[in-house]
Parts: sequence; structure tokens; C-alpha cells
Amino acid sequence: MAELCTHVREQLSSYLDGELVGDRGTLVRTHLRECAACRAVSVDEAALRDGLRTLPPLDPPAHLWANVRAQLEAAEAVEAKRPSWRRLLARAGDAFARNLRPIAVGTALAAAAVTLVAWRAHRDAADGLGDGSAIASVPAPIKAPVATATDTVDVTADLARESARVGSEYATAAAEVLALATTARAQWSDTKRASFDARLVELRTAIADAPDARATRRGWRSLIRYVQTSVARDDLALADTGGTP
Amino acid sequence: MKSLVVLTMMCGVAGADPVGSGSNAGVNERARLEVQPPGKAIKQLAIDNPLGDVRVEGYDGTALQIETHKHAPDAESLNRLRISLIPNTDGTVRIMTTADGGPEYSSLARGAVRIDVVVRAPRNVRIDAAASSGALEMMNMDAGGELDTASGAITVHNVAGTLSTHTLSGAMTLAQVFGMVDAQAVTSDLQLDTITGDRLVASVSHGKIAGRRVRSRQIELTTTDGTIVLEAEVALNGKLVISSISGDLDVKVHRHGPALVRAKATKVDLGSLAATPSANGWMSVAVAGDGQPAAIDLQSRTGFVRFAFVQ
Repeated sequence: MAELCTHVREQLSSYLDGELVGDRGTLVRTHLRECAACRAVSVDEAALRDGLRTLPPLDPPAHLWANVRAQLEAAEAVEAKRPSWRRLLARAGDAFARNLRPIAVGTALAAAAVTLVAWRAHRDAADGLGDGSAIASVPAPIKAPVATATDTVDVTADLARESARVGSEYATAAAEVLALATTARAQWSDTKRASFDARLVELRTAIADAPDARATRRGWRSLIRYVQTSVARDDLALADTGGTP
Repeated sequence: MKSLVVLTMMCGVAGADPVGSGSNAGVNERARLEVQPPGKAIKQLAIDNPLGDVRVEGYDGTALQIETHKHAPDAESLNRLRISLIPNTDGTVRIMTTADGGPEYSSLARGAVRIDVVVRAPRNVRIDAAASSGALEMMNMDAGGELDTASGAITVHNVAGTLSTHTLSGAMTLAQVFGMVDAQAVTSDLQLDTITGDRLVASVSHGKIAGRRVRSRQIELTTTDGTIVLEAEVALNGKLVISSISGDLDVKVHRHGPALVRAKATKVDLGSLAATPSANGWMSVAVAGDGQPAAIDLQSRTGFVRFAFVQ
């Protein structure tokens, strides 16, 4: 399959969704006119989408909205407890993200340029690295990029979404272990349950108040480990005391 | 600020002219740089490379020797890949990578570009490295560090100091680590080999923990559903807590004195030890000897436990 065909088929889903604008859309459109194989794939894909659209709508479970509302209320409650200066800071952060980031980044880059080292480089010059003696022992061949799930996504867009994606994966892992805790806690004493719940609130608050993505990930990891060890070891205290913890 | 400028001025650059393409499709670029602090030693190296691998290797010198490898489909894309080196006055040197983007640029597939960073650093520099799907590798360092990836592998070899490693789904291998260790993974396996120090805490959600020659005074290993296979040495008054929600545990321990072993699981095999069952479901056995006993707790809520002392 030609490279262009591969590229077009990767873009096909976005094209059919009307997400490709400008030259990118034109490229796919033009190719589909000229390439019968890709046109067939496109027709199949479009037919599948049409078929899916004809399926009856699936009603969400009745408890879904209740859960969403409860989570929103909990988030509001946490937000309300934050000091006003933190809320102000968060709002300023949002405004920064929306409006000022390009300017600020440009300014920061300009400032950094004063202090950054001019990074002279060479391309594909394995035998022409200046004297190279300082790190000649570092054997590090240039690797070709490794294909990933985000292979075709634009690199800057993907980097911008990276923190949210990783945070989301930690949140999913936390939800899994919390589900196990829900089962286990039925066997715990009231004291242990209360202690567990209180600690969980602390950990969730730490995540909500995390100043940056790294702190958020750290918060998720703490929560996952706490819940995991609480469930896996809830009987060790029994062994220590010989009774109910 | 003065020292910052001096430090920057002291940076040496080794370079050469561009030549034709290499073996990989696309364009490659290598750069080498040596950062020599004029007076103040480098205390910490922070590397944030979401675009590829990071390898840090300790050596007996005072300068940072940095090698970067870029790869892109064409020269224009290659020029959008940025590497920043920012020395701070507090002794921290920061290396960051990114790619230029925005409305004025054409789309550049993430899978088509790459930056790998290789650093030789003085052994006493603490390392703080983060990557995304790239691998993190650290070896021959004496001041520990923190390594954090999303899906990249983490490999640590011959490192002393406090070490903290985290990954969502990259395989993790820690070998010859001398110091406190905190390792955590969500969906990957963790391999431990020759770990010595005051404390080793490691947890994996969905994956296996395999450890051998583990000699930390306090060892805590936990999984959600993965197996734990451990060959460890417990010190006098040492503590070993191995637990899983549903994974099996297979633990062999070298002991140097008395020990109290307690285990609970759906099936417990303590080998030749004559264990006493208690009302709460725990099997326990005390092994006599001189000194403070080591405490060994093993638990799997729905898995098996197998334990033995070895000579």
C-alpha cells in the first residue's frame, strides 16, 4: 500500500467526521477521487457509520445522572472550602490558559534565550563529532520513532494533552482499586472505616489542590497505594492485636 | 544570576556540519555539549523529555556531558524539535524537550519525531527525570533520584541514595540499588535484583513483582492481582510485609536470627515449619534465636501463600 494511502486511511475517520479542514481535507478528498481502493474503504466506513446512526438510542442507567450530580456537588464543596486566594489563583490560571499562554510562552522563551546555551548540532554525522572525546564512550544510536497509539496525532497537540491523559489513567486505576475497597470495607470495623474514609478525603483534597500535573500524579499514586494496601493488608492489624482492628 | 551567566559561558559545544541522511528514514541530528560549572557543583539534574528516551550514566568527573539525538521525517520538522538547557543558581540543571507548534505550523505526527537524551553526569548529582512513552535508564549514580514515565520502561542499575520510580505501564527493573527505594507501577511488571537499604516499598496494581537478593531492613511489597516472587534476607528486627489482594505469594527468606512468621491466604504452605492456626485465620510460627526477631507478614486475600526459610 502506498504511503499516501496509509496516510489517507489514518485520516479517514477524522475526514468523515468533518474534522479535516483546509489543505488536509483537500488532500484526502483528492486522493479518494483518484484511488479506488481507498474510496472503497471510505464507502465501507461511511456505510458503517450510517448503520450505527440508525441504531435505537441507548438510555443511560437511571443512576448515572445522580452519580454525576453527586460528583459535581462534591467538587463544588471542595472548591468552596478552598481559600479565596487559591480560587482566585485558579481562575487566573484558567484565564492564562485561555488567553495569555502563547504570549507568556513567547516571552519566557525570549528570556530563556538569554541564558540558554546555543545548541550547535550536526545531522547524521556519526564520524564528525568534533573531538567528541568527552563522551565518546556513550553508545547511543539514534532510534527511529516507535509507533504508539498516538502515532498520528499532532505532536504539539498530543503533548498538550499528555498531562490530562496520564491523570485520567491514574484516575481509572484508582477507581478500580476503590471498587475493591468498597467490597472489602463491608468487613471492616466502624473505626477502620472512619479512618479509611477520612484519609481518602485527605488524599482526594491533595489531588484537587495539586499545584501542577506532577503533583496531581503524585497524589493519585498515593491514593492508589493507600487503598491498595488498606485492602490487601486489612487483616494484618488483626494479627497484631489478635482482635478487631 | 552572576553564577548563572558564568556557568552558561563555560558551556562547551562540540559540533559538525550537516551531512546526508543516516540509516533511519528521515533526518537525524546529534548534538553534544559539555556543561562545566565554574565554581558551584551541580547538585541536581532535572530532565523532562516527553519525546523519547533518557539515559543518565554516572562518571568520575565534574561536568555534565550531554548528547542529544533528534529524529524527524524532514529537515523542517527537525527544526521544530527543541531542546533547552537551563542552569539554575541553586545547582540544578534542567533539560527540557518540546516541539514547536501552533496555527502557523503544519501538523506533525507525534510518532514521526523523536528526541533521545544521553547524559554522563558526576556520580553525586541527584537525577529527576520524566518521560512519556520513552525509556528512562539510570546507572552508576550515588545520589538517587526520581524517575517517572507514563508507558516507558524504567531501568536502574548500580545506584545509591534514595530512589523513587513510577510508571503507568512501562516495565521496571531495579538492580544493585543501595538506599531507600519506592517503586510503583500500575500495569507492568517490576523486577528487583540486589536491593540493599533501610527500606524498600514497592507496589504494582496489575503486574508481577519478582525480587531476588533483596536485603532491605524493611520490605513492603504489594500487588492488586499480580504474583509476588521474592527471595530476600531479613535482618535482626527487620520487617517483611508481602501482600496482595488476589495474587499468589512465593517467598523465600534467609534469616540471621529469630523470626515471627505470620501468613493468611486461601491456602498457606509454610513448608517444614510447624505453624499454629489462630481463630482469626492466621497461621503463625516463631523461630527461636538470639536477638530481636524479624517480623514476616504474608497475606493474600484470595490467592495462595508459599513460604520457606532457605540456607
